[in-house]
Amino acid sequence: MATTTATLTLNSSDLLTDELSLSVTTTLTQTTTSTGIEDTTGLTRKKITSTAKGTASGQITLYTADDFAAIGYLYIKNLETTVGNRIYIYDDTSSGDPIQFQLDAGDFAFIPMHGDKTYKAYAQTNPSSIEFMVMGKDQ
Amino acid sequence: MATTTAAVTLSSDLMSANISVSASSTLMKAGTTADGLDQMDYGVIEIPTGDQYDLICTTPTASKATKLYVKNHSTDETYYVKIMIDAQDIGRLYAGDWMFIPADFHDANADIEITSIGGTNTIEYALFHEGTTLIAS
Repeated sequence: MATTTATLTLNSSDLLTDELSLSVTTTLTQTTTSTGIEDTTGLTRKKITSTAKGTASGQITLYTADDFAAIGYLYIKNLETTVGNRIYIYDDTSSGDPIQFQLDAGDFAFIPMHGDKTYKAYAQTNPSSIEFMVMGKDQ
Repeated sequence: MATTTAAVTLSSDLMSANISVSASSTLMKAGTTADGLDQMDYGVIEIPTGDQYDLICTTPTASKATKLYVKNHSTDETYYVKIMIDAQDIGRLYAGDWMFIPADFHDANADIEITSIGGTNTIEYALFHEGTTLIAS
């Protein structure tokens, strides 16, 4: 069985009086089990050419609803270097395509997704580069 | 200015070549690379089942930068919490899972809401931000 881990560290020496040094690690498992995940899209790098959600072309599909069983884990990073070149992650399944979160230049996110929604990305600037990976258990 | 860094490392032997992905960023205020986020809310709380609760209800200013970290400390693998922002499902954290996102607080209603499923979940959370509109008492 494969072992996949995700570690987050948060550090600051001057935000608080005492030093902030937080580190958490989780082993990614199939939903409601202790069995490790088995599938991944692999790490992908793409250019987003759309500056709007909805019907315009050029958005990138990060995850298609129900592609994985239950939740999948999404890692995504905005590879742009100019502040303000944001990437918007939105839910393409729900009415109104609500934005889930946004990444400014250099930002990354890691989140266990809902699983039954399609996630897409559009950018503030055309083109904008991202890298992303989804990990989980295929249906 | 405060300097706070966040880093993620993903490691796996799922593929023939081991996966080893690392990314880091310095948590900056919106629109700048010279001034770091200087406010933080941090807590640990038990979330009982039965209702949806506001985990963070002092709404950060919509146009400002905000980073959200949440970890589910539960050990029962069937327990999880639903994380929502402004009634939109954002993610599900099963026992031991964590998330870190630049949150999108797009309007005054964009509280962070949480629902506990399976049993009482213990949650650790941190919000790094640069502006909060306090609710008048």
